[in-house]
Amino acid sequence: MSDQLNEFTGESVNNQADKDLLQLVSFVVGAEEYAIPILAVQEINRMMDITRVPQSPAFVEGVINLRGKVIPVVDLRKRFGMAIHENTGDERIIVVEVQGESEARVIGFTVDKVNRVLRIGSDIVEPAPNMASGADSEYVLGVGKLDEGLLILLSLDKLFSQRELELAATAAGNDTTAQAA
Amino acid sequence: MSDFDASLMQDFLTESTELIEQLDADLVKLESIDEDGQGELLNASFRALHTIKGAASFLGLDNVINFAHVAEDALNRLRKGEISVNTEVMDALLQSADVVRKQIDELSSGLEAQEAPQELVDQLHAIIKNQPANAQAEEAVATQAETTGEKQEADDQGLPGSPLQLPPQKQDLLEFMVADMQDYANQMEEVVGQFGNDATCEEAATSLAEIADNLSKTAEFFELDSLNGAIKLLIQITSTIGDAPREVVDEMAIRIRGIKWMLDEQSIWLEQGRALDWKLETITERVATLCKHETLADDITGAHENNPVQVLLLDGVMSAPADPAPETCATQNEEATLSDATTASPAAETSATPETAQDDDSEDKPAANKVAPAKQVAAEQTIRVEVGRLESLLNLVGQLVLNKNRVLAQTRMLEELNLEQEKLESFNAAAGELDRLMGELQVSVMKTRMQPLAKLFDRYPRVIRDLARQTGKQIDLQLVGKETEVDKTVLENLSDPLVHILRNSADHGVEDPEVRKAAGKNPKGTIKLEANHQGSHVRVAIIDDGKGLDREVIGNKAIEKGLTTPDQLEKLDDSDVFRFIFEAGFSTAAVVSDLSGRGVGMDVVRTNISKLNGTINIVSTKGKGTTIEILIPLTVAIMPAMIVGVGKHLYSIPLQSIEEIVRPEEGEVSTIQGQRVMRLRDTVLPLTDMRKRLNETGDEEGGKFAVVVSVGGQRAGLCVDRLVGQQEIVIKPLDDSYTQGGPFSGATIREDGKVSLILDVVQLIRQSPQALEKRAA
Repeated sequence: MSDQLNEFTGESVNNQADKDLLQLVSFVVGAEEYAIPILAVQEINRMMDITRVPQSPAFVEGVINLRGKVIPVVDLRKRFGMAIHENTGDERIIVVEVQGESEARVIGFTVDKVNRVLRIGSDIVEPAPNMASGADSEYVLGVGKLDEGLLILLSLDKLFSQRELELAATAAGNDTTAQAA
Repeated sequence: MSDFDASLMQDFLTESTELIEQLDADLVKLESIDEDGQGELLNASFRALHTIKGAASFLGLDNVINFAHVAEDALNRLRKGEISVNTEVMDALLQSADVVRKQIDELSSGLEAQEAPQELVDQLHAIIKNQPANAQAEEAVATQAETTGEKQEADDQGLPGSPLQLPPQKQDLLEFMVADMQDYANQMEEVVGQFGNDATCEEAATSLAEIADNLSKTAEFFELDSLNGAIKLLIQITSTIGDAPREVVDEMAIRIRGIKWMLDEQSIWLEQGRALDWKLETITERVATLCKHETLADDITGAHENNPVQVLLLDGVMSAPADPAPETCATQNEEATLSDATTASPAAETSATPETAQDDDSEDKPAANKVAPAKQVAAEQTIRVEVGRLESLLNLVGQLVLNKNRVLAQTRMLEELNLEQEKLESFNAAAGELDRLMGELQVSVMKTRMQPLAKLFDRYPRVIRDLARQTGKQIDLQLVGKETEVDKTVLENLSDPLVHILRNSADHGVEDPEVRKAAGKNPKGTIKLEANHQGSHVRVAIIDDGKGLDREVIGNKAIEKGLTTPDQLEKLDDSDVFRFIFEAGFSTAAVVSDLSGRGVGMDVVRTNISKLNGTINIVSTKGKGTTIEILIPLTVAIMPAMIVGVGKHLYSIPLQSIEEIVRPEEGEVSTIQGQRVMRLRDTVLPLTDMRKRLNETGDEEGGKFAVVVSVGGQRAGLCVDRLVGQQEIVIKPLDDSYTQGGPFSGATIREDGKVSLILDVVQLIRQSPQALEKRAA
């Protein structure tokens, strides 16, 4: 488990006291609260105009202009196979850097709401339960048991990996129908 | 390695890489040129190798020095005509160039340069030891490889003067003595200026006399009558100039400068082993007159207009230049004028520059054409800039273009407000100026990234030569238009495809000499590599006169591979069938020749070319030859585009692929086999409904405009809903795996900060319904 969570502690672990502390950003998608390591986050933006990219995977919302750089934005609701909901004004785009196959990719993803920055001890984190088996749950690293509820820790690398893309493409039904037309 | 060394090393590496490339090209050229032309090439090759060796010895790179020395010796035998150019010798020399290149590569990747393979060294030694064909050549001369001032009988024509005759024991000193002479010449130049002032005149005369005295000793070394004569004149002048009247001093001073110029010329040519001859009668006579403190005839005095070259011409020292029409140009100083004629580069060392300007009047005329070294052709004045800096400059310009677009958009918005006409106009004027200046800046920056195709083309003679040697074919590679300039990225991406195509042409296209003879062709095959600009595209064509592609064989292979069906095949035209050779794994080797392993990589050609938004077209006649034509946009970073609306979204179409935009009328559109087409004048244009293609929804009737795009002969009409306008767009990569797959070549940022996608016309045409239908297996 601790191996798995190394990803979370990252460079913030400098002294003994911090060793077991995870510094996270938590956000809400649907009914659940999710968390990713704060060091992976480049920035959090308000919703902006997203340009649709035809014939990309269904969960890819489109591309945005991040200060002159064009980056893809993933809709986490679609990525998790949830229903689309009405805009509330709380939506945010979280921009993260993930390790691609050859180089680092900068990707944005939409969440319903960004909750808070928190520190939790790694001792309250349990491995992902096996019941949510199936390839698609590989991106769940573990579950944090907080007083107020459960916190799902995500692996960004797995969430946005190339393999996941293919799996999701077959599962969600890639809108490549037009490509054959 | 110290910092000092590191920067020197970097210079060495850059310079040597260029020299080696030049050397390679020259050596290959050597083989194909007749003996008259070889001298110059051999000299150039020798100089290149010698320069590398010199620089290497400064850095203490022993392995490089040792090997370059041996190779240089071998080359020197050739240069002196002791052995003649033949394939074995050339093989060894070309391999030597490879070894040095490898050593340079090793050094640039931070390793030590390896020793050269002993085998090659032995081979070179064999060439060096080989008894000279010319029995008169002395053994002693052969060992003096490094002396640059040796006689070269081979290329007497075209060079001024006569070969320098020096006993062998003096050869070693030549370089030193020439440097010495140049030193004195430079001192003269300093002193001669002082004659202009009466107060310093006498003092100047004394120091000049000293210099003249030293010079005469140096000059004796060369045993040259002309040189000695000129220096005698100098001594004569210096002995009387001190108390000469003003008018005489001026005439004398200009002649001193004339002599100084002669010394410069002589030293340049002595280094090349040539002695110049001058006719000194007239000048001697005039100097004698002047020394008696008498003025010259009126028509001679002042006629030189203070130009030392002019005075030499007047005094008959050298013959008139080819273009004698003098054009007075008061503003240009002598340094510029003369260096144009002699060294061609204003940045050249002053020692090579005949005169520094004492006065600003001069003749702007190529007076020294005849005596100036012919090989010192105009060198461009350049500075080296790190590529990274250019890239960041280009990025900045890209950002600026976006901002300019925003400002222009704001201008349009302002017009809608009720502002004072005057204020609005002045703002508009400023915005317009900004637009114009940005355009110029953009072009200038793009130009810094342009490089001539020669950078690529010059490598290929070697490739073809080696291939011809391996296969026993005779191939003549012709390069046309290698000065054509393209963007750096384009150049880099063209490199591999061209090699592949050339290899293919040489290997499979051109037949064996016997086969060619039997077919009534010249046994020597020709491959022509041709480049030129076509509008905003550059066209590169590889034309061979080989056996051509066989439609039937390729077609059968394509069916075998499941790429098409017999029925489909029948409908395809030739160029579509030939295009199959670019399919991955489509081994052309099995198709057209027994040679294996060469067909690999043609799919690289297609991938690289389409990465550049380019197209490939193949025309081939069985028995006559094949022409492969590549069409690529000139630049890849910023381009003009048409912004169009499809459904709710805006897209950009590169202007360079748009032929025209039409509004199809009801009657003009019809359907052929389910494919919507329109009659456009006398052609039938397949239409692509962009709404459907881009999964746009929309209720109202759309697709009012057909944007006619064409790439490499293929055309299609893209039906869009709206035309927004023409704009400069900055191309941003859309390379994340999540956003690939659609018919887009990139994205751009619009003036409102939103992203708009750039349509990939090549992909749209290739996947147009008609093409898809054709291709459907």
